[in-house]
Amino acid sequence: MINLIIILFGLSLLYISAISRLEGYIKALAFQGFLLTILVLNSFGHLNPWNFAFLILETLGFKAIIIPQFLMRTIRENEISRETEPYISHFYSLLFTSLIFALGFFLAYWAREHVAGLGHLHFGISISTIVFGLFIILTRKKLITHTMGFMIVENGIFLLSLSKVHEMPMIVNTGVLLDIFLVVLLLGIFINKIESTIENPDVDRLTYLKD
Amino acid sequence: MIASLLIAPLVLSAGLLLARSWTLNRLALLMYAILHLSCSFRLYGNPESFLAYFQTDHLNILFLFVVSILFAGIAIYCQDFLSDETMALKANTYFTVGLLLFVFSLTGATLSSHLGLFWVFMEATTLSSAPLVYFYGTRSTMEATWKYIFICSIGISLAFVGIILLSMGETRNFDSLFFHDLYAHVGQVMPFWLKIAFPFLLIGFGTKMGLAPVHAWLPDAHSEAPSPVSALLSGALLNTAFLGILRVTKLINLAQLGRITSLLFLWVGFLSLFVGAVFLLRNKNYKRMLAYSSIENMGILAIGIGAGGLGVWAAMLHLFAHSLSKASLFLTSGNILKIYQSKHIEDAKGLLEKDPRSGWIWILSFFSLMGFPPFPIFLSKFFILMALWQKGYAILALLFIVLVIVILYGMGRSILVMSLGEIERPVVTQKLPGLVYWPQIIFLLLLFGAGFLPPVLCQLLDQTASAF
Repeated sequence: MINLIIILFGLSLLYISAISRLEGYIKALAFQGFLLTILVLNSFGHLNPWNFAFLILETLGFKAIIIPQFLMRTIRENEISRETEPYISHFYSLLFTSLIFALGFFLAYWAREHVAGLGHLHFGISISTIVFGLFIILTRKKLITHTMGFMIVENGIFLLSLSKVHEMPMIVNTGVLLDIFLVVLLLGIFINKIESTIENPDVDRLTYLKD
Repeated sequence: MIASLLIAPLVLSAGLLLARSWTLNRLALLMYAILHLSCSFRLYGNPESFLAYFQTDHLNILFLFVVSILFAGIAIYCQDFLSDETMALKANTYFTVGLLLFVFSLTGATLSSHLGLFWVFMEATTLSSAPLVYFYGTRSTMEATWKYIFICSIGISLAFVGIILLSMGETRNFDSLFFHDLYAHVGQVMPFWLKIAFPFLLIGFGTKMGLAPVHAWLPDAHSEAPSPVSALLSGALLNTAFLGILRVTKLINLAQLGRITSLLFLWVGFLSLFVGAVFLLRNKNYKRMLAYSSIENMGILAIGIGAGGLGVWAAMLHLFAHSLSKASLFLTSGNILKIYQSKHIEDAKGLLEKDPRSGWIWILSFFSLMGFPPFPIFLSKFFILMALWQKGYAILALLFIVLVIVILYGMGRSILVMSLGEIERPVVTQKLPGLVYWPQIIFLLLLFGAGFLPPVLCQLLDQTASAF
């Protein structure tokens, strides 16, 4: 069951790497939030009720509903074009994603003797997700896609930290603080367009400050 | 003592947001600065712990002192900065509150005795300083702030991955992230996970510290922020991130994996020194020049730690001296900006003629930063060089000398052009108040005294170096 969820999580990354519409990214992110909710539900009984409720709220409420809604609204109101504008073609994007998965599984295989109580699949996909998020940030042009890339990194970290949910729930709770950055970045994009300080939120335009 | 350090800024901030007064803003900064300084002095002889999560020990007391001294100087400088009549009251209050919260998060991070808590405060430093970097609200500050938040949030995420990996290595009957627990039970953490976690923590906190190759945010944020903020960023924030790296490195060294840390430190250290040298050769903006010099000096700290032995002691001395010299330069850059209304070196010539006091402070702080005797950076660089030599890294020692000379040339040229060149543009003729010179003069006097290695300083540095 758990493995099925984790495989679906991995598939969502492949989906993101192959599509070219921002809405698709948002749907995939919401889907990831939903999968994380199921994983948190699975740890019911190991956590104290407050902590459990907090994590459900974080994954279902925040990651799966609020943030995707807000992203949709930002795209609509800021009139951001729906193209993700990658620097590389879909073919290479998929190829690199496959390589990232290979890297993740290789690491998991390498660490197999040292991993206690953590599935190889879980570890491999978590690491792949983190690296994949960085890959999205590096290869996509728009600031809003960068923010989504950061959210993928964050989901990967959440997935990884779930492996410690029984022994150290504190770690999972601390990781949630990364969401503050996400909110700040998103609000930055949202407000910035209204005040039109940067004319077009593309990284290509972030070249005013250089040497 | 620690409780008051942590609670005072929060209470003051809340009060200021309610009161909205020009005078109270300035007064609050001074009050907290005095409190900070006196608490640091009291804590030096009497280590204390608060709620088990905060404590002073031999390692962090030096860092706390540096924050205290810098903040005291900056609070004095801000008495003038915040009396600028063109600034709106709202902006004035937000700036003050931002500064208080920034110092609060720096203090919290410095005093944290728990890796997770340290991480939380590191995150808080980014969040509290971002509005300060954005203070002028122009297009370029927007860009600098975006890069600052984005790059640092990626960095801090990677540091968090490091923390998770570290905790994965802990055996079943041991699950603590308190530094003292980790040090005492280092055998309970599997070396395999320590080895994997360390690069993540180094890159993560190294982003905040401004080590190459993850330094991209630093020149932009430092040059676009108001000068007192740049001084605090460069003098205190980078050190605090360094403290985190030191704490983790100590753990790795205790696990007998010192070879890895040493190698990594030397790599990132020389890379930072190289990046600093390359960009300092072709700088056109004096605030960016100072920022690149910070990257270079963080590289020197890393090299000192990588060399080990005497190098660690020298790195601590370097840290202290760099913070004061750089803060002095950044504060003076605020004066220069005020006089010339431009950050370009070409526009800001003839400083000695236009404002002799700023000019001399500019030159002397530069001498201090470059390590002209009797300033202490001479000793710290010399000892780091010796440490490299003793370890048998002759080629690295040579490379160190070459890069330091290149930097001296690059920066020296710009500083001389600015100090001695002929004034080419019409400049503001108003006289600057004495307040904008005193902090730098105090810093320089402290540095001058420190160059003779008084016993008090030696004792502090011995303590810090042996605690690492």
